[in-house]
Amino acid sequence: MSSTWLLYMAFAAVLVFVGVYCLLTQRNLIKLFIGVEIISKGISLALVATGYVKNSIFTAQALAVTFIVVEVCVVATALAIIINVYRHTKSLDIRKLAKLKG
Amino acid sequence: MTLSIGLLVGLVAFSVAAILVRDILKAAICLAAASLLLGILFFVMKAPYIGAFEISVVAGLITVLFMVTIALTKAEGDVRESKLAAWAFPLFFAVFLIIDVLVMKSLIGKIPTQTTTAEGGSFGEALWKGRTFDLVAQIGVIFAGVFAVLALFRKRSKDE
Repeated sequence: MSSTWLLYMAFAAVLVFVGVYCLLTQRNLIKLFIGVEIISKGISLALVATGYVKNSIFTAQALAVTFIVVEVCVVATALAIIINVYRHTKSLDIRKLAKLKG
Repeated sequence: MTLSIGLLVGLVAFSVAAILVRDILKAAICLAAASLLLGILFFVMKAPYIGAFEISVVAGLITVLFMVTIALTKAEGDVRESKLAAWAFPLFFAVFLIIDVLVMKSLIGKIPTQTTTAEGGSFGEALWKGRTFDLVAQIGVIFAGVFAVLALFRKRSKDE
Protein backbone atom coordinates (compact mmCIF):
# COMPACT_ATOMS: atom_id res chain seq x y z
CA MET A 1 0.00 0.00 0.00
CA SER A 2 2.85 2.33 0.87
CA SER A 3 4.58 1.78 -2.49
CA THR A 4 1.38 2.74 -4.37
CA TRP A 5 1.21 5.98 -2.42
CA LEU A 6 4.90 6.68 -3.12
CA LEU A 7 4.32 6.10 -6.84
CA TYR A 8 1.57 8.74 -6.90
CA MET A 9 3.73 11.09 -4.80
CA ALA A 10 6.65 10.62 -7.23
CA PHE A 11 4.45 11.70 -10.16
CA ALA A 12 3.00 14.59 -8.14
CA ALA A 13 6.58 15.74 -7.40
CA VAL A 14 7.41 15.56 -11.12
CA LEU A 15 4.40 17.76 -11.92
CA VAL A 16 5.42 20.29 -9.26
CA PHE A 17 8.98 20.29 -10.69
CA VAL A 18 7.69 20.92 -14.24
CA GLY A 19 5.54 23.81 -12.96
CA VAL A 20 8.38 25.37 -10.95
CA TYR A 21 10.75 25.05 -13.95
CA CYS A 22 8.16 26.87 -16.07
CA LEU A 23 7.89 29.65 -13.47
CA LEU A 24 11.67 30.04 -13.32
CA THR A 25 12.42 30.04 -17.05
CA GLN A 26 9.46 31.42 -19.02
CA ARG A 27 8.83 35.11 -19.71
CA ASN A 28 5.30 35.10 -21.11
CA LEU A 29 2.70 35.91 -18.44
CA ILE A 30 0.21 33.34 -19.75
CA LYS A 31 2.94 30.67 -19.87
CA LEU A 32 3.82 31.49 -16.26
CA PHE A 33 0.23 30.95 -15.26
CA ILE A 34 0.18 27.63 -17.12
CA GLY A 35 3.09 26.71 -14.80
CA VAL A 36 0.97 27.57 -11.76
CA GLU A 37 -1.82 25.37 -13.16
CA ILE A 38 0.59 22.43 -13.57
CA ILE A 39 1.71 22.82 -9.94
CA SER A 40 -1.93 22.81 -8.83
CA LYS A 41 -2.50 19.57 -10.78
CA GLY A 42 0.34 17.97 -8.84
CA ILE A 43 -1.17 19.11 -5.55
CA SER A 44 -4.67 17.84 -6.36
CA LEU A 45 -3.17 14.51 -7.48
CA ALA A 46 -1.34 14.25 -4.14
CA LEU A 47 -4.53 15.08 -2.21
CA VAL A 48 -6.78 12.55 -3.93
CA ALA A 49 -4.09 9.83 -4.09
CA THR A 50 -3.50 10.11 -0.33
CA GLY A 51 -7.24 9.79 0.31
CA TYR A 52 -7.43 6.83 -2.07
CA VAL A 53 -4.57 4.95 -0.42
CA LYS A 54 -5.60 5.79 3.16
CA ASN A 55 -9.22 4.73 2.61
CA SER A 56 -10.64 8.23 3.16
CA ILE A 57 -11.58 9.09 -0.40
CA PHE A 58 -14.71 11.09 0.52
CA THR A 59 -12.82 13.56 2.71
CA ALA A 60 -10.08 13.82 0.08
CA GLN A 61 -12.70 14.60 -2.56
CA ALA A 62 -14.29 17.26 -0.35
CA LEU A 63 -10.87 18.88 0.14
CA ALA A 64 -10.10 18.66 -3.59
CA VAL A 65 -13.43 20.34 -4.44
CA THR A 66 -12.47 23.26 -2.18
CA PHE A 67 -9.04 23.36 -3.82
CA ILE A 68 -10.53 23.50 -7.32
CA VAL A 69 -12.96 26.29 -6.37
CA VAL A 70 -10.07 28.37 -5.01
CA GLU A 71 -8.02 27.53 -8.13
CA VAL A 72 -10.77 28.74 -10.48
CA CYS A 73 -11.14 32.04 -8.60
CA VAL A 74 -7.37 32.58 -8.66
CA VAL A 75 -7.24 31.81 -12.40
CA ALA A 76 -10.12 34.21 -13.19
CA THR A 77 -8.55 37.02 -11.16
CA ALA A 78 -5.02 36.45 -12.47
CA LEU A 79 -6.13 36.33 -16.11
CA ALA A 80 -8.07 39.58 -15.59
CA ILE A 81 -4.87 41.12 -14.19
CA ILE A 82 -2.92 39.79 -17.21
CA ILE A 83 -5.41 41.44 -19.61
CA ASN A 84 -5.06 44.74 -17.71
CA VAL A 85 -1.26 44.47 -17.78
CA TYR A 86 -1.43 43.89 -21.55
CA ARG A 87 -3.62 46.98 -21.99
CA HIS A 88 -1.07 49.08 -20.10
CA THR A 89 2.20 47.73 -21.50
CA LYS A 90 0.99 46.31 -24.88
CA SER A 91 3.08 43.24 -24.12
CA LEU A 92 2.92 40.01 -22.16
CA ASP A 93 6.63 40.09 -21.33
CA ILE A 94 7.25 39.78 -17.59
CA ARG A 95 10.50 41.79 -17.91
CA LYS A 96 8.59 44.90 -18.99
CA LEU A 97 6.83 44.89 -15.63
CA ALA A 98 10.16 45.40 -13.89
CA LYS A 99 10.37 48.99 -15.09
CA LEU A 100 8.98 51.44 -12.56
CA LYS A 101 7.24 54.54 -13.78
CA GLY A 102 7.14 57.85 -11.96
CA MET B 1 -2.41 -0.31 -11.98
CA THR B 2 -1.08 -0.34 -15.57
CA LEU B 3 -3.90 2.00 -16.60
CA SER B 4 -3.05 4.36 -13.72
CA ILE B 5 0.64 4.45 -14.66
CA GLY B 6 -0.26 5.06 -18.32
CA LEU B 7 -2.52 7.96 -17.32
CA LEU B 8 0.17 9.39 -15.02
CA VAL B 9 2.80 9.22 -17.78
CA GLY B 10 0.39 10.89 -20.20
CA LEU B 11 -0.37 13.57 -17.61
CA VAL B 12 3.33 14.38 -17.18
CA ALA B 13 3.91 14.26 -20.96
CA PHE B 14 1.12 16.76 -21.68
CA SER B 15 2.30 19.01 -18.83
CA VAL B 16 5.85 19.01 -20.25
CA ALA B 17 4.44 19.71 -23.73
CA ALA B 18 2.46 22.64 -22.29
CA ILE B 19 5.62 24.40 -21.15
CA LEU B 20 7.82 23.48 -24.13
CA VAL B 21 5.39 24.33 -26.96
CA ARG B 22 5.97 27.88 -28.21
CA ASP B 23 2.40 28.62 -29.32
CA ILE B 24 0.37 29.65 -26.24
CA LEU B 25 -2.88 28.33 -27.71
CA LYS B 26 -1.33 24.88 -28.17
CA ALA B 27 0.05 25.11 -24.62
CA ALA B 28 -3.48 25.79 -23.30
CA ILE B 29 -4.82 22.80 -25.25
CA CYS B 30 -2.02 20.58 -23.83
CA LEU B 31 -3.00 21.77 -20.36
CA ALA B 32 -6.64 20.85 -21.05
CA ALA B 33 -5.54 17.39 -22.22
CA ALA B 34 -3.50 16.97 -19.02
CA SER B 35 -6.58 17.92 -16.97
CA LEU B 36 -8.67 15.42 -18.90
CA LEU B 37 -6.20 12.62 -18.13
CA LEU B 38 -6.11 13.66 -14.46
CA GLY B 39 -9.92 13.57 -14.38
CA ILE B 40 -9.94 10.03 -15.86
CA LEU B 41 -7.30 9.04 -13.27
CA PHE B 42 -9.60 10.29 -10.51
CA PHE B 43 -12.36 8.06 -11.91
CA VAL B 44 -9.91 5.12 -11.80
CA MET B 45 -9.12 6.03 -8.16
CA LYS B 46 -12.85 5.66 -7.36
CA ALA B 47 -13.28 9.41 -6.87
CA PRO B 48 -16.00 10.14 -9.48
CA TYR B 49 -17.19 13.46 -8.04
CA ILE B 50 -13.79 15.11 -8.17
CA GLY B 51 -13.15 13.46 -11.56
CA ALA B 52 -16.28 15.07 -13.00
CA PHE B 53 -15.33 18.37 -11.34
CA GLU B 54 -11.81 18.22 -12.78
CA ILE B 55 -13.02 17.51 -16.31
CA SER B 56 -15.86 20.05 -16.33
CA VAL B 57 -14.28 22.91 -14.40
CA VAL B 58 -10.51 22.62 -14.90
CA ALA B 59 -10.39 21.03 -18.38
CA GLY B 60 -13.43 23.01 -19.56
CA LEU B 61 -13.88 26.34 -17.82
CA ILE B 62 -10.23 27.20 -17.16
CA THR B 63 -9.27 26.33 -20.77
CA VAL B 64 -12.02 28.66 -22.01
CA LEU B 65 -10.68 31.40 -19.71
CA PHE B 66 -7.16 30.87 -21.09
CA MET B 67 -8.41 31.01 -24.68
CA VAL B 68 -10.39 34.20 -24.04
CA THR B 69 -7.26 35.78 -22.53
CA ILE B 70 -5.13 34.68 -25.50
CA ALA B 71 -7.74 36.09 -27.91
CA LEU B 72 -7.89 39.40 -26.01
CA THR B 73 -4.13 39.86 -25.80
CA LYS B 74 -3.04 38.65 -29.29
CA ALA B 75 0.65 38.95 -28.53
CA GLU B 76 1.94 35.46 -29.18
CA GLY B 77 5.05 36.46 -31.12
CA ASP B 78 5.72 39.35 -28.80
CA VAL B 79 7.65 37.57 -26.05
CA ARG B 80 10.96 35.94 -26.87
CA GLU B 81 11.46 32.90 -24.69
CA SER B 82 14.97 31.83 -23.74
CA LYS B 83 16.14 28.99 -26.01
CA LEU B 84 18.54 27.83 -23.31
CA ALA B 85 15.61 27.01 -21.01
CA ALA B 86 14.08 24.66 -23.59
CA TRP B 87 17.44 23.00 -24.34
CA ALA B 88 18.36 22.59 -20.67
CA PHE B 89 14.98 21.15 -19.70
CA PRO B 90 15.74 17.47 -20.58
CA LEU B 91 18.91 17.60 -18.47
CA PHE B 92 17.21 19.10 -15.41
CA PHE B 93 14.23 16.78 -15.89
CA ALA B 94 16.45 13.67 -16.03
CA VAL B 95 18.38 14.76 -12.92
CA PHE B 96 15.13 15.41 -11.05
CA LEU B 97 13.69 12.04 -12.15
CA ILE B 98 16.79 10.21 -10.84
CA ILE B 99 16.63 12.07 -7.49
CA ASP B 100 12.85 11.49 -7.30
CA VAL B 101 13.16 7.74 -7.94
CA LEU B 102 16.05 7.38 -5.46
CA VAL B 103 14.20 9.28 -2.71
CA MET B 104 10.97 7.33 -3.23
CA LYS B 105 12.87 4.01 -3.31
CA SER B 106 14.60 4.87 -0.05
CA LEU B 107 11.24 5.64 1.54
CA ILE B 108 9.68 2.25 0.67
CA GLY B 109 9.01 0.37 3.88
CA LYS B 110 9.98 3.30 6.09
CA ILE B 111 6.57 4.95 6.13
CA PRO B 112 4.38 3.15 8.67
CA THR B 113 1.23 1.75 7.07
CA GLN B 114 -1.66 2.67 9.30
CA THR B 115 -4.45 0.16 9.48
CA THR B 116 -7.37 2.24 8.36
CA THR B 117 -10.90 1.10 7.90
CA ALA B 118 -12.87 2.23 4.89
CA GLU B 119 -14.59 5.57 5.39
CA GLY B 120 -18.29 5.19 6.07
CA GLY B 121 -21.13 7.32 4.78
CA SER B 122 -21.17 9.08 1.44
CA PHE B 123 -19.45 11.96 -0.34
CA GLY B 124 -22.41 14.23 0.48
CA GLU B 125 -22.09 13.52 4.20
CA ALA B 126 -18.33 14.11 4.11
CA LEU B 127 -18.82 17.42 2.28
CA TRP B 128 -21.87 18.81 4.08
CA LYS B 129 -21.26 17.48 7.59
CA GLY B 130 -17.50 17.03 7.77
CA ARG B 131 -16.36 20.08 5.80
CA THR B 132 -19.18 22.56 6.44
CA PHE B 133 -16.80 25.41 7.20
CA ASP B 134 -15.02 24.80 3.87
CA LEU B 135 -18.28 25.39 2.03
CA VAL B 136 -18.74 28.75 3.77
CA ALA B 137 -15.16 29.65 2.84
CA GLN B 138 -15.83 28.57 -0.77
CA ILE B 139 -18.76 30.99 -1.00
CA GLY B 140 -16.48 33.75 0.31
CA VAL B 141 -13.76 32.87 -2.21
CA ILE B 142 -16.24 32.85 -5.12
CA PHE B 143 -17.54 36.31 -4.13
CA ALA B 144 -13.96 37.56 -3.75
CA GLY B 145 -13.13 36.29 -7.26
CA VAL B 146 -16.28 37.83 -8.80
CA PHE B 147 -15.68 41.22 -7.18
CA ALA B 148 -12.00 41.16 -8.13
CA VAL B 149 -12.86 40.56 -11.80
CA LEU B 150 -15.58 43.27 -11.67
CA ALA B 151 -13.11 45.72 -10.12
CA LEU B 152 -10.47 44.96 -12.73
CA PHE B 153 -12.85 45.43 -15.67
CA ARG B 154 -14.85 48.41 -14.41
CA LYS B 155 -15.12 51.36 -16.76
CA ARG B 156 -12.97 54.23 -15.65
CA SER B 157 -14.52 57.67 -15.29
CA LYS B 158 -13.02 60.59 -17.25
CA ASP B 159 -11.48 62.08 -14.10
CA GLU B 160 -9.22 59.03 -13.53
